[in-house]
Amino acid sequence: MREITFSEALGEAMYEEMSRDPTIFTYGEDIAKQGGIFGAYKSLLGKFQGRVIDTPISEEVIFGSALGAALAGMRPVAEFHFADFLFTGMTAIANQIMKFRYMTGGQAKLHLVLRGPDGISKSAAAQHSESIETIFMHIPGIKVIVPSTPYDMKGLFKTALKSEDPVICFEHKMLYGLKGPVPDEEYYIPFGKADVKREGKDVTVVTTSRMVHESLKAAANLEKEGISVEVVDLRTLVPWDRETVINSVKKTHRLVVAHETWKRSGWSSEIAFIVQREAFDYLDAPIEKVGAYNVHIPFSPPLQDFVVPDYKDVEKAVKNVLGGI
Amino acid sequence: MVEVRMPKFGLSMEKGFITRWYKSKGDRVEKGEPLLEVESEKITNDVPSPATGFVKEILVEEGSEAEVGKVIAYIAESEEELKEEVKKAPEKQPEESVPTESVQKEVKEQPLETPVRSGQTGFIKASPLAKRLAREHGIDLSTIKGSGPNGRIVEKDVLNALSKVAEGAAVPEGKAQVEKLSPIRRTIAENLSEMYRKTVLVTNMTEVDMSSLLAFKKSLTEKVSVTAILVKVLAQVLKALPKFNVNFDGETITRFESVNIGVAVSTKNGLIVPVVKDADKLTLSQVNAEIKRLSSRARSGELTGEETKGSHFTLTNLGMMRTDMFTPVLNKNEVAILGVGRTVKKVVVIEDDKFAVRDMAYFSLSYDHRVIDGADAAEFLGEVARIIESVPFVI
Repeated sequence: MREITFSEALGEAMYEEMSRDPTIFTYGEDIAKQGGIFGAYKSLLGKFQGRVIDTPISEEVIFGSALGAALAGMRPVAEFHFADFLFTGMTAIANQIMKFRYMTGGQAKLHLVLRGPDGISKSAAAQHSESIETIFMHIPGIKVIVPSTPYDMKGLFKTALKSEDPVICFEHKMLYGLKGPVPDEEYYIPFGKADVKREGKDVTVVTTSRMVHESLKAAANLEKEGISVEVVDLRTLVPWDRETVINSVKKTHRLVVAHETWKRSGWSSEIAFIVQREAFDYLDAPIEKVGAYNVHIPFSPPLQDFVVPDYKDVEKAVKNVLGGI
Repeated sequence: MVEVRMPKFGLSMEKGFITRWYKSKGDRVEKGEPLLEVESEKITNDVPSPATGFVKEILVEEGSEAEVGKVIAYIAESEEELKEEVKKAPEKQPEESVPTESVQKEVKEQPLETPVRSGQTGFIKASPLAKRLAREHGIDLSTIKGSGPNGRIVEKDVLNALSKVAEGAAVPEGKAQVEKLSPIRRTIAENLSEMYRKTVLVTNMTEVDMSSLLAFKKSLTEKVSVTAILVKVLAQVLKALPKFNVNFDGETITRFESVNIGVAVSTKNGLIVPVVKDADKLTLSQVNAEIKRLSSRARSGELTGEETKGSHFTLTNLGMMRTDMFTPVLNKNEVAILGVGRTVKKVVVIEDDKFAVRDMAYFSLSYDHRVIDGADAAEFLGEVARIIESVPFVI
């Protein structure tokens, strides 16, 4: 199968769906002329006249107008440039977009997609490095997709572009350049369907995004020590695939939930709660979480490495649960 | 001098009630001979003597209880020992003096150390999984020492305790070897126990005069096995009685046009049932060749999944060995199986009340009574016998 980058997979999903559906248009900062700061829209450059638009730096306007366009029957895809900037437009998102279908008693559909990069890169510091997907899982009213591979990116994003609900897509900065197999033919990946990225029998690691790759690396290292790790990539957080996670825990009896965002009240807590309730009799050790320390992401490279989790933290957590903690 | 201790017959047994001493003080006793009878949890067991000698002392009388592991008697191994004074039993039980096998293996399961209890609540630290496993297998968590953090009992600890119980059960005495089932044996075991559990298995038996069939076999220029001839007979009967030419999964019955007959083959790895497909359409010579081919492939382990699937009825022929009647278990999804015993020359009564020496064999038809009635089975056996006993035999 041919291999393309994560970024190209997103571009393909946009290209295919924009060709199919004339109501899809996209706008944000630095996308029309530049093709997006991470190059995801390169394939759209010079095509789809008037449907790929640069905006001024005003998140409130970007997200607020997306709501209006969606209500007027369009399918806007608004880019948030950096996840950290979502806070600037949060009243439009949390107070309008995420509430609209509820407050109209479901009378209005709201097909819009918010998308953009999140997570760390090389020393982008506290205001350009956050992972804040938990907030969107916490507040009702938006579907949250967090792909980890080019294949998942394309399939999930195409589904997002057909959704009747608002969708937010978090793309990790360090994944844009990642290459992976993507078939030539069209496909869609349904929301709420986790992907077991590696099968194992001793410990289940539930994760998403960049931490999928860190977890796979940890699993490969641990295999040399005779520890068999199952890596479950949730792919979407709203909805998330309880069945796959619980079945995996019933098999391995031990669970680690790993994400890049802060450990305190990160979405891992929700997974851990559901698993202890649904699979209580199957657990042989307390559930362990992997996440960032409870501070903002430092600029200093060694400090960033210290604060943000990687494969070494996953290995440690796996060994902890195997030792019973 | 050898101690006799109260053995442990069940995991939860703490005390035993001595219902009877078979021997009295001074009696001679052989090693392994029943020495006393113990009742616990409504089960009565004989306790064999751990040694040959004389009963020197009985410490716990009939009608009394003793805790598991407690010394209840002494056996003197010689007459001199019989006269010696009895020294007090040591508090801790030395390994050498463990009296019987059953005591020896049970002693291992007693707690080596006090289980972890927090405060005065008697709470035992165990993982949820460990608790569930212990509950399901009737294991008392207080008898297990936890290997987890702060002495928490985890899955591994319960599994270890379980395997000790299993070892205890599987190793009766003396030298023994523990062997895991091979994958093929495990499949056989699973299929058989599934069919045995799910079906209502009944076996009808009848004695069949094989003389005519054997005469026919002898008359053939080609060498053909009795099994091949029987397959042809069965194909004819299955055509006439289609009720038997089916698969049944507990809810639906699938009837077949074709007649596929499984033929049980014994191999060094276990029983395999390759299938003679369309047995009704093949000639006797073709059936014979097919059985030969399948058996040799079965024995060399070359059979493909296809060659063992799709049978509607099975023939298991033990005629070449010493078995007269038996109750075969059904092959997967089938409703009947015919077991053929050895052929023996017998004096039988024939027409006009005359005696004759005939080649007789027992045919045992096992069937699933849920879908096959006793009368159906009798009709089937009758039809098989009628064809085999017809003179001359024709197929």
